[in-house]
Amino acid sequence: MDAILNALSCLMALGTSMFLWRRPTSVYKETGVMVLSLCVFVLFSYFTVDSSEATLEYMPFRMLALCLCFSTTSLTSHKSRYMVLALVLWLWVEFFGGLTFVYRGLEMPWTRVVAIGSGAVGAAFLSHISREMEFMLMVYWIAIWMFF
Amino acid sequence: MYRILVYIGAVLLLLGASAFGLSLWDGPTAWHTDARTFWGIPISLFVLWIGLAHAGTLISAIFLALGYPLGRRTSMIAELSTLCSLVVAALFPLVHLGVIDNFYMVVPFLDARGNFANLRSPLVWDFCCIAVYGVVSLLFFINHLFSEKKPALKKLIRPMAWLLFPLVLWVHTIVSLDFAVTFVPEWRGAYFPLYFIAGAIYSGLALVIILLTAEHCRVRVLEKLMLSLSWFMAAFWFWEFLLKGMFSFEVFFLGAVVPQFMWLRVIRENTFGRLLVAFSILVSLGLERYILVTPSEYDVANAFGWLDLGLVAFSMGLFVLLFFVLRAKLSALLEGDDVVMGEIVLQEDDPAKMEVSESNVFSALRLPLLLGVLVTLVYVTWAVSCDSGVLVSLSVANIVPLCLPLLVLVASIVLCARPLWSILGNRIRFVAIVLAGILGVFVGAFWAGGGSDTTSAVVSVQELASAKSIEGIWASRCASCHGNDGKFNEKFVREFYPLPQKLSLERLDSLGADSLVHVILNGRINMNPYRGRVTEDEARGLVHYMRLLAGENQ
Repeated sequence: MDAILNALSCLMALGTSMFLWRRPTSVYKETGVMVLSLCVFVLFSYFTVDSSEATLEYMPFRMLALCLCFSTTSLTSHKSRYMVLALVLWLWVEFFGGLTFVYRGLEMPWTRVVAIGSGAVGAAFLSHISREMEFMLMVYWIAIWMFF
Repeated sequence: MYRILVYIGAVLLLLGASAFGLSLWDGPTAWHTDARTFWGIPISLFVLWIGLAHAGTLISAIFLALGYPLGRRTSMIAELSTLCSLVVAALFPLVHLGVIDNFYMVVPFLDARGNFANLRSPLVWDFCCIAVYGVVSLLFFINHLFSEKKPALKKLIRPMAWLLFPLVLWVHTIVSLDFAVTFVPEWRGAYFPLYFIAGAIYSGLALVIILLTAEHCRVRVLEKLMLSLSWFMAAFWFWEFLLKGMFSFEVFFLGAVVPQFMWLRVIRENTFGRLLVAFSILVSLGLERYILVTPSEYDVANAFGWLDLGLVAFSMGLFVLLFFVLRAKLSALLEGDDVVMGEIVLQEDDPAKMEVSESNVFSALRLPLLLGVLVTLVYVTWAVSCDSGVLVSLSVANIVPLCLPLLVLVASIVLCARPLWSILGNRIRFVAIVLAGILGVFVGAFWAGGGSDTTSAVVSVQELASAKSIEGIWASRCASCHGNDGKFNEKFVREFYPLPQKLSLERLDSLGADSLVHVILNGRINMNPYRGRVTEDEARGLVHYMRLLAGENQ
């Protein structure tokens, strides 16, 4: 996947995250937004990622995980807790997805895994997340997505 | 009501018992297996029941950990369903193995004969994860069960919930890797961990809704979650269709379309309507598992024999019988004074209370987690330094799946041991000590290992009339483990145990022909003896053939 499409996928995750957790919230509304976002990511991945690339298999779910990470910045309570959970989900997708690739002879994306893991550990210690901190965290996640 | 359900369970169990017995007796030849994957109904049922086993922990532990506890009876019913489903699920990998007497070899520690489990095999991960999940779920259930009468245990429930939260997701992720790390094209999926977790939670919710219906009650939030998950499953099936072209109309209709009838008030508010939707989901997910496990079988109806149906009946009967007998026996403890059925109890209005509670959780978990991390690090260091690395290159990625279960096991035991011990009466303490002794005997037996006797289900060499050449004997006797080309049989290495030896020329030369003939005829460590099935001349021919293969592989 080239850099432009990679950036576009990150932008899509950011864009769809804006529709999550807007008040009034409900189980159906939030799930509906997540599933619709996932369908958009599925179509995007299917039409843009080369089918010979193994990473195509989990691309939509990586995008969903990133979208959930972005969306936690708009939460009004328990922001740190859900941020950690979203990052752990992203870590989960990357690590276990990578593990299946290891069995096919590909490399585990250790740098990305460690970067996300560090982010999750760091976020666990944030008692108060200011607007500036939110911005820096989002930059950090985008950097992981784009460069690792 | 319970009595009728127990009778139904007993009838199903009896109907399926003969199928189960025959499966154990005959091994994998008894049931229908896929032509390409060699897997069949036991693995399908294992995946289905282990998925159903997740509902209890999801509903009770995850909700509790996040600060949204459900009513006591709802949680207890869900947790009990976890334990019963686990018992059912645990039986089927043993059936699948075909060599049930060697199952202890999946335990990842060194035994007296120098064997170390194949840590590259997801089967070993499965065993560890499910065993730990079973122990921790049991501890959680006991804590919850007695917490009304023993306040000391109440403080443990939320820390335990935080330990179970990642474990429940971990276990099903590992189950998904049974498939995802193989070469079968239909099973290639880096998205399988999430797909399996979603499917497990979905089917588990359906099961809990059925069980709650038997209690004459309903929990709306679970119905909402079930409906929401049907959309996620539809998205997963859409992705699978785009990626691999796999699509089953029956699975989609029963699992994604039928649940949408819950939007209709007439269905939603009707007991039979809710039951119909929940059963539809279970059938859909069961069918989906079977199609996944046997991708070559397009005609499922014809592939299913009476024995396959018998195993399905056996699993259902065992669960129903176990669940409703235990439910009736534990009735007094399950139904406390504060049974609140219905919506979840939201606690967001009192953030200060939540903060204090979370701080207590952290304090309670600090020491157990540290000890868990310490034990896990010691284990990882030891495992990497073991001889298994000589046979198959072992990477950190192979050991990581065992880390969380080990950490959680140690942390849970450290967390619960003292409070549980303090509330036990002398008689129960005595029973606990006896049980610990029995466990010690089992561990000792694992360590000592078992014999390598010839099984009764052997085929005489005369039956191999069509494979008279040594190459034919090799293909029929040896290739399943050592591979047709004398290298590992990769499928065997990835899904089975123990690891066969590498047949390098140096190794064969160092052992000598006479020694190798002796090993073939009499067995050694995990190599079964072939005396009676292979003559001495044929054994010498096989040694010669091994040398040829080793030479070609150099």
